[in-house]
Amino acid sequence: MKSLVLEHLAKTYFDPYRGTQVEAIKDLSLTVEEGDFVAVVGPSGCGKTTVLNMIAGFVPKTGGRILVDDREVSGPGPDRGVVFQSFALFPWKTVRENVAFGPKMRGVGKVERARIADEYLEMAGLSHAADRYPNELSGGMQQRVGVVRALANNPDVLLMDEPFASVDAQTRMTLQEELTRIWEERRPTVVFITHDVGEAVFLANKVVVLARGNLLAEVDISLPRPRVWDSLVHDNDFKDLSNQVLQLVRSA
Amino acid sequence: MAADQTTIFRPAPSRVRQALRFLWPLFGLVVVWQVLVMALDVNPRVFPDVPTVLSAGWKTIIDGTLLTHVGASLLRVSVGTVLAIVTAVPLGIAMGVSRGISTFLTPPLRFFSVLAGIAWIPIATLWFGYGFGAITFVIFNAVFFVVTYNTLLGVSTIPMPLRHAAASLGAGHWQMLTQVLLPGALPNIVTGIRTGMGFAWRGLIAAEMIATNTGLGYMLFLARDFYRTEVIVFAMIVIGIIWLLLDRLLLAPLERATVERWGMVQRS
Amino acid sequence: MRPLQTLWGYYIRMTIKWPGLAALIPFIPLIALWSFVVWLELFPRVFLPGPGDVLIKAWELLYKGILLDYLGDSVVRLSVGAAAGMALAIPLGIFIGLNSRAHEVSWPILLFFQAIGDIAWLPILLIWFGFGLTTMTFVIVYTVLFPVVLNTVLGIRSVNPELRRAAQSLGASRPRILFEVTLPGALPNIITGLRNGLGYGWRALIAAEIIVGTSGIGFLMFDARRAGSVEEIVVGMIVLGILWYIVDSWILAPIERATGQRWGLVSS
Repeated sequence: MKSLVLEHLAKTYFDPYRGTQVEAIKDLSLTVEEGDFVAVVGPSGCGKTTVLNMIAGFVPKTGGRILVDDREVSGPGPDRGVVFQSFALFPWKTVRENVAFGPKMRGVGKVERARIADEYLEMAGLSHAADRYPNELSGGMQQRVGVVRALANNPDVLLMDEPFASVDAQTRMTLQEELTRIWEERRPTVVFITHDVGEAVFLANKVVVLARGNLLAEVDISLPRPRVWDSLVHDNDFKDLSNQVLQLVRSA
Repeated sequence: MAADQTTIFRPAPSRVRQALRFLWPLFGLVVVWQVLVMALDVNPRVFPDVPTVLSAGWKTIIDGTLLTHVGASLLRVSVGTVLAIVTAVPLGIAMGVSRGISTFLTPPLRFFSVLAGIAWIPIATLWFGYGFGAITFVIFNAVFFVVTYNTLLGVSTIPMPLRHAAASLGAGHWQMLTQVLLPGALPNIVTGIRTGMGFAWRGLIAAEMIATNTGLGYMLFLARDFYRTEVIVFAMIVIGIIWLLLDRLLLAPLERATVERWGMVQRS
Repeated sequence: MRPLQTLWGYYIRMTIKWPGLAALIPFIPLIALWSFVVWLELFPRVFLPGPGDVLIKAWELLYKGILLDYLGDSVVRLSVGAAAGMALAIPLGIFIGLNSRAHEVSWPILLFFQAIGDIAWLPILLIWFGFGLTTMTFVIVYTVLFPVVLNTVLGIRSVNPELRRAAQSLGASRPRILFEVTLPGALPNIITGLRNGLGYGWRALIAAEIIVGTSGIGFLMFDARRAGSVEEIVVGMIVLGILWYIVDSWILAPIERATGQRWGLVSS
């Protein structure tokens, strides 16, 4: 079962400062199986965020096709949940209301969507914060809400755009472990954008390296699960894979 | 940031194009005005058409009355504002240096900045008589209290670490004042000046209607006595243009330069 | 220094217990200073009455029922005008904020009409509607309208685009995004606009009451000026100040803080 298919995806835009067309993405083909976890890495400016924005439907593509469950993507939609680097939680809604937002848009009743929200909040260990406002939470907690909000809407694909880049190092490790745990429990299809090679290898089943708008390599990560940092930091396979990906990124 | 490139790389329009883009809707408005007046056959006493206003305006320019009125108004505003800034900023800084004093004095200052401007017209005309003194006083206090309050606010919100840093780098009292307190409070001061001048400009027009025999407000009110709507409309346009130029070309850029450049609070 | 510090300590603890006092006590030294200056007889009594004289006058006006009547008139005018202004301004602001073509066309026009200023409209309004309630209401609606429209537009356009994207990818339709994301996001700005608008409207009301003059606090003050009663003018000013102080710091500022701070949209 193929969940997400990119066929010859391309993006060019006009750069008025140079007065030329710039090819951000040249020709990108990629298939993500259902229930898979794919991380996309690459140096900054390689176009990884552009790819995610096109899949999410925020930015129009200029060539190729994007298929989610064999339906072509046009514009944003609830079949693709997005977790933002800046969290993008609604500041005027409580944590529970944020998580219940997707179900609310689908027309789920008040009681039922509160139940859904509470279930997901419990999964992320956030039950105690359900009635607080995002601004009152730490960055790490805010992003937990961001992840859970996207999951609560049952998307076909979960798109994550450097979601842990703006939290501190310790929190980031905890969040990564929580994400793998949740992924193992629920098996959502995930496309995870990051510039952190260790993070990509730790989380994903497959790491895709992008360079200058092209797909440079795909590396399968067959590390055993469940993955936790305490054991993986000493793991030689993990070190080798990380090194391999790092070399690819640096050669780009 | 995850902003897409298409929005980042927007060409910066030239100054001329920016000005044109600003002016063409106003030009359109003039056309609409003329068409409406002609189509509805409006009584010129109720609302004049464009040529009448233009010729009335031209006449005031030729015989020099416009210049007299504009000159009088601008002189009052400049004198009142400059006096107010010169006195308000030192006072605000002096009061803001001590946190205790500044919190203590905030309520009375807010009280007076609320009253600033028009509410002083009756008592100002009683104290100074009709004329330059009373009107300049109204402008002075419209700006004075708002600027004092904002300066105080600005100084008292300078982060303590910044002051400590300056002190431990060897700043004396004078340097603390010129290098830390004044620049730190500047965004607030500029915002205060802009707000205060907004009040002052309205106060000026009101005061000139009541208490003098020159100035734009007087020009308006005199025209009303003779039902000269074309002069009224012309004077209103002049008032609008002057304030727009003052606010957009002087005050707003000044505020942007300090407030936004330094990444401090962004305000409307 | 010692007893002063002890006293200051008492004061701080007292204001923590009863925060309302912090807004009142600072006026005591101010009134003392006022009495002192009057006692020195630097200015003739007719020009600068003492607090006692003003209090007696206030009681007299209150007793006659004039003060409350006029105050009621002013407050009703301001509330009716402000309500009508908001009812017009918020939908207009939403429309202009959402529609970038409408924004391009109307923005310069809005800025220009705001620049003309409410008070400059008085002469032509007097010709159109005569001395009466219509003229005053028009002026206040006009005054409230522009700050609210301009700030609503600003608020809507400055809502973080990521939030719209988030809502879209959670399945929100366009109208849902407007009500769930855009409007709440613009709310702090709308309230700021309202606060500015009321601040300007308040002053415009005073000017209108002075010039149009049938009743109201502005009229009271100007009438007193004609009769040469400084006490009455001061009573009027104090009433104005207190009223606006109450509206601003007990109603508007808390709403602004509640929306802005809890949501973290404005710092401090």
